[in-house]
Amino acid sequence: MGLLAYESRSSVNDIELITRVVAGDAAAERELYETYVDRIYRLTFRLAGDDELARDFTQATFIRAFEKIGSFRGESSLSTWLHSIGVSVSLNGLRKTKRLRNREAPMEEGLTVGAVPVEAEPDLKEKLARAIDSLSDKYRTVFVMHDVEGYTHDEISGTLNIPVGTSKSHLFQARSKLRVALADFAPEWAS
Amino acid sequence: MTEDNFEEFLKKAAQSYNAPPARTPREDMWSAIQAQRAAGPRVVYGGGGGSATRESSGRRFGSKIWLGAAAAAVLFLVTGVGIGRWTASPGSTTSVTAAGPPQTPSSPDSTPGRSTGAVPELGRAVASTGMGAGAQTSPASTGGARETIANGGNGGRVARDGSSTNPGSSSAYQITAVRHLSEAEALLTSFRTRTTTDQQMDAQLGSWARDLLSKTRLLLDSPVANDPQRRPLLEDLELVLVQIVQLSPGSTPQDRELIEKTLQQDHVMTRLRTAIPAGPQRGS
Repeated sequence: MGLLAYESRSSVNDIELITRVVAGDAAAERELYETYVDRIYRLTFRLAGDDELARDFTQATFIRAFEKIGSFRGESSLSTWLHSIGVSVSLNGLRKTKRLRNREAPMEEGLTVGAVPVEAEPDLKEKLARAIDSLSDKYRTVFVMHDVEGYTHDEISGTLNIPVGTSKSHLFQARSKLRVALADFAPEWAS
Repeated sequence: MTEDNFEEFLKKAAQSYNAPPARTPREDMWSAIQAQRAAGPRVVYGGGGGSATRESSGRRFGSKIWLGAAAAAVLFLVTGVGIGRWTASPGSTTSVTAAGPPQTPSSPDSTPGRSTGAVPELGRAVASTGMGAGAQTSPASTGGARETIANGGNGGRVARDGSSTNPGSSSAYQITAVRHLSEAEALLTSFRTRTTTDQQMDAQLGSWARDLLSKTRLLLDSPVANDPQRRPLLEDLELVLVQIVQLSPGSTPQDRELIEKTLQQDHVMTRLRTAIPAGPQRGS
């Protein structure tokens, strides 16, 4: 699941793939897309909570990647580079969307956007989703990447371009805030 | 245990958060990407985008050249000064004694590191602290060395009585590390003993922690971090310092409690005190 697994498996292939994409090989572009689209889409969906937005962000990520791949210097892995574009595109896109929605609709409607129907303990899930949504971007992104999608702190550090210690600190803060928000459910984890 | 339970509980419950569909709409998105690229400006690899990019490329290129030249000049200057200081150090003295005369608060620039040549730049940086107004006596100051952090005006200074006689960069790094850990201990003790409503104190501690944080990161990149016991301690210290730096003046008692919990869970204070030897080396 982690980026590192991807990296060790594909670092050699990546170099060849990048070379082919830069040379204008359409099949290589498709190959690059097929290799990474699932993870990028998953992450953008987790951040956006909306299929349409997630598609837009994923498409924008690959369009930007194809445009800029010639300037990719290999300082990080291709996977990390793509993920950092994906996160950046998603967070910027969400900020714009939020501004638009705040202008067009009342707050309550905005909060329901992206809610995916889930079964079991609707109260907990609803409360948790609201609490995660209320986290600041930096805390939410680290929390979603680590606790929801299973990225390691090293991977998050590379993707968000922050020190590992900062990633840990953000996760700690995010969990603490969620713990307070979910205090009503304390018996469920205290037992 | 409860903490672990909560993490497990949270991870499990959070799986439902914005859960993506089982299948990625690969074909739809690929078609959309192709359509957008066909409709948009032609991609020029290696140079970024299309016409808009090309129009401004001359200006961007020009500004990049200036930025590059400026960065190169600064790098050249800093490297030159660094090499000069580094090579001048061993010949000038073999001692890292910093027993200068007491300095007046009106001279914030003066740091003990300047009067010595043997301590590397890192050591000099660690020797100067910024603690805002007021004066404090470090609780770490016991044994043969006395370290008083006094302050006035814009910056702080450290006046020390005590010495270490081992020359060489290795021992200098060790001394620097011990000094740094002593300062960290002083900061954390101050943090734990301050009143919760003192926002001015919080701001001062934040500034001090920021200073120590940068030094901690420097130490983590130095030979000091090769010590298998010291490295984890510095990493844990880094985490605590980040948390203290991030405390805003309006932060809640819960935020402070969380830092306190980190300190207790990782036994940071105990490990700090164990890592700081008693006697003349301490803080000198």
